[in-house]
Amino acid sequence: MAKVIGGRVLELVIVFFGVTFVIYAMVFALPGDPIRALAGERPIAESTIATLRAAYHLDDPLLVQYFRYLGGLFTGDFGTDFSGRPVGAQILRAWPVTLVLALSAWAIEIVVGLGLGLVAALKRNTWIDRTILVTTILATAIPVFVVGVSAQLLFGVRWGILPVAGDKAGWPVAFILPAAVIALYGLAVVSRLMRSSVIDNLGMDYVRTARAKGLSRRRVVGVHVLRNSAIPAVTFLATDLGYLLGGAVVVEGIFNLPGIGNLLFGAIRSHEGPTVVGISTALILVFLVTSVLVDLLHAALDPRIRHD
Amino acid sequence: MQFPRPARALAIATVALLGLTACAAGGSDSDASSDILIFAGGEPDHLTPGRQTVAFDQVMSVFSPLVDLDAEGNTSMLAAESVESEDATTWTITLKDGWTFHNGEPVTAQSYVDAWNFTAYGPNAWENSWELASIVGYTDLNPAEGEPTTDAMSGLTVVDDLTFTVELVGPDSQFPLQLTGAQTGFYPMPEAAYDDLDAYDRQPIGNGPFEMTEAWEDTEEYTVTAYADYAGPAPTIAGITFRPYTDNLTAYTDVLAGNADVLYLPTAKMTSAIADFGDDHVYSLQAPGVDYIGFPLWDEKWQNQDLREAISMAIDREAINEAIYGGLYAPANSLTSPNMNGDPAGICGELCEFDVDAAQAKLEEAGGFEGTMTIVYPGGSGLDELFEAYANQIRQNLGIDAVASPTTDWAEYWQSLVDHTVAGPHFGHWGALYPSQQSTLRALFTEGGGCYLCTGYSSDTVDELLLAADASQTLDDSYEGYAAVQEFVLSEFPTVPTFSNTYNYVTSERVLELPAVSGSPVLSKIVLAD
Repeated sequence: MAKVIGGRVLELVIVFFGVTFVIYAMVFALPGDPIRALAGERPIAESTIATLRAAYHLDDPLLVQYFRYLGGLFTGDFGTDFSGRPVGAQILRAWPVTLVLALSAWAIEIVVGLGLGLVAALKRNTWIDRTILVTTILATAIPVFVVGVSAQLLFGVRWGILPVAGDKAGWPVAFILPAAVIALYGLAVVSRLMRSSVIDNLGMDYVRTARAKGLSRRRVVGVHVLRNSAIPAVTFLATDLGYLLGGAVVVEGIFNLPGIGNLLFGAIRSHEGPTVVGISTALILVFLVTSVLVDLLHAALDPRIRHD
Repeated sequence: MQFPRPARALAIATVALLGLTACAAGGSDSDASSDILIFAGGEPDHLTPGRQTVAFDQVMSVFSPLVDLDAEGNTSMLAAESVESEDATTWTITLKDGWTFHNGEPVTAQSYVDAWNFTAYGPNAWENSWELASIVGYTDLNPAEGEPTTDAMSGLTVVDDLTFTVELVGPDSQFPLQLTGAQTGFYPMPEAAYDDLDAYDRQPIGNGPFEMTEAWEDTEEYTVTAYADYAGPAPTIAGITFRPYTDNLTAYTDVLAGNADVLYLPTAKMTSAIADFGDDHVYSLQAPGVDYIGFPLWDEKWQNQDLREAISMAIDREAINEAIYGGLYAPANSLTSPNMNGDPAGICGELCEFDVDAAQAKLEEAGGFEGTMTIVYPGGSGLDELFEAYANQIRQNLGIDAVASPTTDWAEYWQSLVDHTVAGPHFGHWGALYPSQQSTLRALFTEGGGCYLCTGYSSDTVDELLLAADASQTLDDSYEGYAAVQEFVLSEFPTVPTFSNTYNYVTSERVLELPAVSGSPVLSKIVLAD
């Protein structure tokens, strides 16, 4: 057990250093002086540029900058952006918005995706089945900003039933549209998985037995088949959470949600090295820690992998 | 990964769900009262007037300038009682009595002098420091080498509570125009500001029509409310909510839905705005900005004036204006915008007119053009269509193999100008902050003007003509002087003037009237429906 933990933690450390360094180096390599670009086309006095460059240590070599940054990181300091705002505080504010968005999308994928899959299986090879197949796949093919903007125009402008943008209305109202847009892209896979799983299960012995005992078809499908069939699809959905976070990043821009994606996008545009690395580091940490926790949970649950 | 996927996945889900319970979505319900205007904009960088570079609307609502402008570009006194000078070099500024900052502190001559010195002081590295560069003593605060030995400009002298004098490095009749609203480096700050400048940047205390009753938090909207003791003309609305949007197309949709009231129209929507909003809710404000095409003048190939003139005459500005700007811009016919006082409209003459035959003749005189012409513009700024159009026209009308080529972003575009590595004709734009031709001509065509990088052009003759124009005793004389500068610059044709900008705004149905000066909406005078 100790060996498993030790191995995983070592992996975590290597990935952490590798990824933060690569990202830092990439931001460092971006062409152009971020300070000069701060004011757009307007001039900044040369003395102002020099002072700001010194303040943010922009003239130091890459390794010096990187290790100074790491040093700060280990004391819990994520650095500041070029407006002097602490990056750590910005990430703390943005992170919940992204997480709520991703989990809302996830919930919609589960309910709608499983539902569509079940219907498709029960009505297999009819026009209903084919319609579900075609529409979910077509939806996947449309670019996300087209779907997003169309949804805004329909629900927000034409019908005025949901907010166009922003998180002012709070959860769930403000998150329905953006979450639905993200969920749309997972529906095809989830519903197909569910469909084939339901079809498999319908042919199982236990279904025949249940029917033979006199249970109604509705009860057999609604209770036994649904529950057993959902496992593969739910499994897929769980691994899909990472993708959902990624999708959230794009959708946040369209729906003006102040999450991680918005923050990251703005930071890359203005060459805010500390912010980009800070956000990426925070994301990486979350994924690494989650996966270690999951593995440990496995080890605790399953004696077979508690090998030495 | 050594563990079975399904179980692993379920465990991730469990962990994630635990996370969800730990955090709640933000958002609160606050029904905006009916006379609070919702302004859809971007995220500010700073709210301190000496520092902001993208928060003009926000800062201009909290502060009032010394000198005001009307829609025609005429000046009138606002916070100042008078701004006078005998010789245009030493200016005496007298303040109106009875003005207070939002914390009750009286606005005095010292408030101005301290704020200007602090803004100009090099080691503070405040972004708008350059606006004060023509005051005597500015260079002492910004020495080329080392730390400054003083923190006050010798050109500023407090005479009494309400009077101070400003000595400029040379005579400048345009100084009162420089004191108008968009030059935020000239705003005063109260003594309370210096106690905690970080807090002040979040919640500045100004002398303007609106006060900040709450601090600005990152990525969140905030509301300013009318200042009860404001000594200027009372605002027509109770307050303004500044709401930041990351994507201005999203903001556009939100204004269309009536969730926000005023938005700077994104270029991508210029052709559809009137169809979406109707004539009454699209405002096309004549603005002090100009677009031009600059050249790598350090490269021998581009020192050929006939070639530059051929390019200018090969561009059909009217057609591009219709296709890309929905007809909202104006084709350029001088180096400055018609918004500038005394703009010598038409001075560019036939060189700014579309004429394929003349352009081809010029190209022939120039000896033709070999190879590929790469036209460079900053990527990610919504300029792609415009530069594709320029390249197309040069290709079709001059038979040159022209391609439009974006840089990664602003920073890279700037760097290519700094390093002299830009590959060919390039994007150029100057948005002046006050409506005098001086701003544009000085910035673009003199070495010390701030945007020398933008054109790479300067000339002793221009410097002399410009100084003479600045020194004019009357405005009419100065107009003649600036026209002479333009005439000379155009005779060397270092840039191709393309468009005079309009700054365009769309509004919700609630907005009945959007007054503006020099391209900027005056939010304190906006008229809302009941």
